[in-house]
Amino acid sequence: MVLARVKGTVVSTHKPSSMEGMRFLLLEKIDAVTLAGKGDYVVGIDGVGANAGEIVFYVTGSSARMTEVTRGKPSDATIIAIVDVIEKDGTLTYQKAGAAG
Amino acid sequence: MTLARVRGTVVATKRADTIDGAKWLLVEECNQRGEGRGEYLVGLDMVGAERGHLVLLTQGSSCRWTRRTDDRPMDTLVVAIVDSIHGGGAELYRAE
Repeated sequence: MVLARVKGTVVSTHKPSSMEGMRFLLLEKIDAVTLAGKGDYVVGIDGVGANAGEIVFYVTGSSARMTEVTRGKPSDATIIAIVDVIEKDGTLTYQKAGAAG
Repeated sequence: MTLARVRGTVVATKRADTIDGAKWLLVEECNQRGEGRGEYLVGLDMVGAERGHLVLLTQGSSCRWTRRTDDRPMDTLVVAIVDSIHGGGAELYRAE
């Protein structure tokens, strides 16, 4: 799974009827150590109720169809988790505001 | 499979994968000598790997071919802990 930050939303009115009601989120991949954006963007289907500014991880390929929201739908990038904490080499590199460490 | 080093953990309580007792590892992709490349992924731990371990990652749809992950949205699994790597008649890596 790939770490990314939710940067915004993508709106599309012309899409398959099977994709009606899905939220498209604009994601920027991040460096896991510095949390800085890599300037590399993807659009992911929201499977967890993520909001702008949150750090998430998403699945790609056929596995992106395996959530309740995307089952049988043409998604190839689906957000499956909102990150609370990232720990690297024993140090917290990220802790979401309000999340228990 | 690809080689990676376990560098830490990721905690996420709000999830869509419905996998019970999931442990998420922060892993750094490595070369054949176990040297990190600065590229990180989040993987589901299948073997009890810990920080510092060199591991094998399975990626893509093959990640769903385990009992725990059948039909789940998973594309990165930590499937093995590496003991040693040999190549070209030399030992390239050995776990400490």
